[in-house]
Amino acid sequence: MAANNRHAHNMEHQPAMSTAQIGAKPPVIFAATPGNRSVAQDEAPVKVQIRNLNFYYGNFQALKNINLTLRDRRVTAFIGPSGCGKSTLLRILNRIYELYPGLRVEGEVLLDGENILAPGVDLNRLRAKIGMVFQKPTPFPMSIRDNIAFGIRLYEKLPQSELDDRIELALQRAALWDEVKDKLKQSGLSLSGGQQQRLCIARAIAVKPEILLLDEPASALDPISTQRIEELIDELKPDYCIAIVTHNMQQAARASDYTAFMYLGELIEFDETETIFTHPKERRTEDYITGRFG
Amino acid sequence: MADQAIAIAEETTGVATPVLRQRDRTAARLFIISLRGSCVLFLIICGGLVAELVWGAQLSLRTFGVGFLWSSAWDPVTEHFGAAPFLYGTAVSSLISLALASAIGIMAGVFLAEFAPRKLGVSLGFLIELLAAVPSIVYGLWGLFVLAPFVSQWLGPALQDTLGFLPFFQGTIYGVNMLTAALILTLMILPTITAISRDLIEAMPMRYREASLALGATRWETVAQVVLPSVKRGIFGACMLAFGRALGETIATTMVIGNRPVISTSLFAPGYTVASVIANEFTEATTNLYLSALIELGLILLLISIIVIGLGRLMLRLLER
Repeated sequence: MAANNRHAHNMEHQPAMSTAQIGAKPPVIFAATPGNRSVAQDEAPVKVQIRNLNFYYGNFQALKNINLTLRDRRVTAFIGPSGCGKSTLLRILNRIYELYPGLRVEGEVLLDGENILAPGVDLNRLRAKIGMVFQKPTPFPMSIRDNIAFGIRLYEKLPQSELDDRIELALQRAALWDEVKDKLKQSGLSLSGGQQQRLCIARAIAVKPEILLLDEPASALDPISTQRIEELIDELKPDYCIAIVTHNMQQAARASDYTAFMYLGELIEFDETETIFTHPKERRTEDYITGRFG
Repeated sequence: MADQAIAIAEETTGVATPVLRQRDRTAARLFIISLRGSCVLFLIICGGLVAELVWGAQLSLRTFGVGFLWSSAWDPVTEHFGAAPFLYGTAVSSLISLALASAIGIMAGVFLAEFAPRKLGVSLGFLIELLAAVPSIVYGLWGLFVLAPFVSQWLGPALQDTLGFLPFFQGTIYGVNMLTAALILTLMILPTITAISRDLIEAMPMRYREASLALGATRWETVAQVVLPSVKRGIFGACMLAFGRALGETIATTMVIGNRPVISTSLFAPGYTVASVIANEFTEATTNLYLSALIELGLILLLISIIVIGLGRLMLRLLER
């Protein structure tokens, strides 16, 4: 039911978006990514278009003229050494950076053709469309059930039984249901780190977002939990546009369709993951993925 | 590689020269003895305190028995003593101040930590810490010369006009009364609750706020549903700490409560607290029984404090579930 709604919504926007893409200024969009003809040919619809994006921490420019496309039903990985701006980029997409003073953004981020950086955008509604999972698990100090219900209740007033269904569905999608179904009333903090992270993913998808932002979701987890998160990303891919920041090169190679390599605030190369990892066009990309720096 | 690791392990586990090890051990032993010593000292002080109080209160305990607790007699001439008016005064003034101070303090803490602009937050925070350091005699003087006239001339009549149907706000409005004492106590414990609440909220990692906001919650929803529940135990502890201070506060209360051993439902009437009566009458206690009754009051105050802390712990444990 929910998934249907979501897709119907996507359909509506699709044509408008493609015209925008063709009609606007394609040279600009792909200026920084000469090698991504294959990205442009992908039949999956464009979900997010980042155009001429600059970002400043006070006087320090953290992002330099980023142009990038995120496609629906695809996983895009952001790699690069610490401080290259990949997390910053992710944090612009749901405007969570605004929590801190002194930060400034220039450029456009089009979500289904609509600039989310424009003033007057309803932040709460925007964030309902964009789920985010952080590096360290962030279970709220409440029961497992209420952790999931928290997000749902922000937007919908559901009868008890329907709410329970939604909670179960979210936990199942996050591959956590079997482990927690008998202890939904226990604190979310009682779970292991890997379970907590899947709880956070369940919480994010319970709100029925269209985009999932994963900021190094597995870097604080053990290898087995990491593997489960990667499997989960694969399972979620058919329904979401997923952007993942990772320090783990294998993870990017395994889990993503597209990879963006960033360095010192610039997007160095953006292409299909396979191309990036087998025939990178930029010397710096090659150096980084082969471990020569970073 | 492996050899190196073993070498490092040996170094850190302390297989060094024998002389060094010997000295390390002696130091460690001395350290542990001193740690144990300070704990034992604590036990001795606590035990000694209780023993001394019980010993001193013996005469009163034997003369009045348990009835001391609910007798409202306080007549040094005929030597009839009872604790009821003081217990009542202590309980009422402290509970009112706890209710007011926790409500205001938690809100102020939330504002300072979450919503105040940085500069304002820092300077206000400094001011609040300053308030916590003001000696209680200064609060007492201020209460007597500023707050008491304000209560009897403005606040009292205003309350009587609006809430006069309640028994707490009826009768003559005295210059020094229970309400003034409760208000001065509120001011005194407010900085503690505010400062601790603010520190607890500020210490909470940003990522929880980000996670809540990223779900689309507003700042207010984030504070009410994520931040405050995370720190509720700490804030509860802060309130108990503050309550303990209100219970035992002596000088400021003594100066504004009126010091009359009566139980009155009206907050506009004078009252008396356990701590105040001990401070006021200790030097005048000429007979053994009089002195013993005051010491028994001290013992009761100590027990109340212990019970409050115990209850606080118990409630925390219940909150945990």
